[in-house]
Amino acid sequence: MRRKTSPVQYILIGGIMLIALIWVLFPFYWALVNSIKRPADTFRAGAWIPFLQFQPTLEHWISELSIIEIRQALLNSTIISLGAATLAVLLGTLAAYALARFRFGKKGNANFTTWFISQRILPPVVVVIPFFLIMRQLQLLDNVFSLVLLNATFTLPFPVIILSQMIRELPQELEEAAYVDGASVFQAFTRVVLPLILPGLVATWIICMAFSWNEFLFALSLTTKSAIPMPVIIAGAEHTRGVQFWFVGVRVMLTMLPPIVFALLAQRYIIRGLTLGAVKG
Amino acid sequence: MAATEAPAPQQRRSDKTKFFFIMPAVIWVLIFTIFPLLYALYTSFFSFRFGRINQFVGGANFARLLTDSNLHNGLRVTLTFVIITVTIQMLLGFGLALLLNREMRGKNILRAIMILPLFATPVAMGYLGITLFYEINGPINELLRALGGTGVPWLSNPFWAMVAIILIDIWQWTPFVFLVSLAALQGLPSDLFEAAEVDGASGWQSFRRITLPLMAPILWLILLLRLVEAFKVFDIPTSLTLGGPGRATEVYSLFTYRTALRFFDHGYAAAQGFLLLIIVSLIVALLFGQIRSVYQEERS
Repeated sequence: MRRKTSPVQYILIGGIMLIALIWVLFPFYWALVNSIKRPADTFRAGAWIPFLQFQPTLEHWISELSIIEIRQALLNSTIISLGAATLAVLLGTLAAYALARFRFGKKGNANFTTWFISQRILPPVVVVIPFFLIMRQLQLLDNVFSLVLLNATFTLPFPVIILSQMIRELPQELEEAAYVDGASVFQAFTRVVLPLILPGLVATWIICMAFSWNEFLFALSLTTKSAIPMPVIIAGAEHTRGVQFWFVGVRVMLTMLPPIVFALLAQRYIIRGLTLGAVKG
Repeated sequence: MAATEAPAPQQRRSDKTKFFFIMPAVIWVLIFTIFPLLYALYTSFFSFRFGRINQFVGGANFARLLTDSNLHNGLRVTLTFVIITVTIQMLLGFGLALLLNREMRGKNILRAIMILPLFATPVAMGYLGITLFYEINGPINELLRALGGTGVPWLSNPFWAMVAIILIDIWQWTPFVFLVSLAALQGLPSDLFEAAEVDGASGWQSFRRITLPLMAPILWLILLLRLVEAFKVFDIPTSLTLGGPGRATEVYSLFTYRTALRFFDHGYAAAQGFLLLIIVSLIVALLFGQIRSVYQEERS
């Protein structure tokens, strides 16, 4: 497959790459442009390039960031994604170590792995009703805590899959040496294994944060006011004031930026995580 | 699935400790997945009044599944969405990966950019879509007019509203197919292709006889993951079109969400959820045989 590239092919491939890049990047550019346009420029044709075709302004950013609800939503989203990711990684790392290093009966390891992966197959709308009823019973509706618990559940497969693979790739002799020195299983895990998988662990934690940040269905169903996170608050820019593109622009940017930055930080582990460990990328 | 041959030496040392490691996560999934599922099954046998369990209705909620034309609409919309988006994503993503599978500069930058859509908040993309597909002077219609076409009634026409949703999903998930295929293509053993070339195989022949068979399990896996995800579609139609115009883009999950949290018909919504779960599980069961080898390779 790796044949020599002729000049014609070179140009052709370059062209296709260029189109793909514009296609991928344009929506992000448009969100940014929307957020710095004055309302009068928003509905005008031919206002694409700041300074050349319209005078940009930061007033929407300033006014949106001064809204209490938006600050609260940013805080809520931060708490939810930090809390959920930390819980998921904590539970997931322990399970990953068990799956990588111990044997649970004849088929136990495979069954446990399936048990964790099946989480990603379940359509969320199937469990949204019971969660709504349960959280109402527990008086946890409109409480960030309920979203921390749920997002930890949905993201749990990522640390289990990614980290159990990483641990399996570590040479076992390191732990054996620790045992010879009298370490317990738990000590071997915390002192030998954890430091070695730290980069993957951090990356997994970041991936979990991104997914928790983006979650919408449960955030919409279980919050009404004080626990509303960013993905739900964008809707507010539309429904209460009509479609005000400039505010939508700011909110879209505020919502999308964190997970995108997270994704770039955790690049190396994303393919492995999203394919449930099948492709290492 | 991803089973390993576990080491013997640690076997005896840790018969109890290993459960300390795995049980927290297992119990967690039990509490937050299995329990709600059973609870949903329970509620699906009851009718609700003012959001509270009212009375046992047996299979009545499930019987309603058969006659509810709005539910059938949701199913049809979702199936259309799933088939079109997943087909295009697979072809486009794999095609691009084949094309770009060669030594080139800028590969890392390309990968970094292709990752961005995967993590762009889907709801945010829906709202951004309102501005992108804005009919009067939105950038897409402006571009179409500049190219000599006419503007398209994106969000007010049932057909074009569906196209808009499909386009956003294609934008978001084609890079996934591309990135995974590219990673898998680059992991193929290059000596096979060199041998084929020495034997005078054409590019097409080595694609048909080497690339496709080797890639098949991975492609099935990508297909499975995309199908499962696509059936869950909720965020984009909810934010971009609210299921409209009319019910033209009211996907299954949105209909169920409305049944549950607009009309508080929890029992019926639970029954709908189970129908969706059954459909998705059937697809997984059908395709799982094809991808088993992906996971079995790991044992060696």
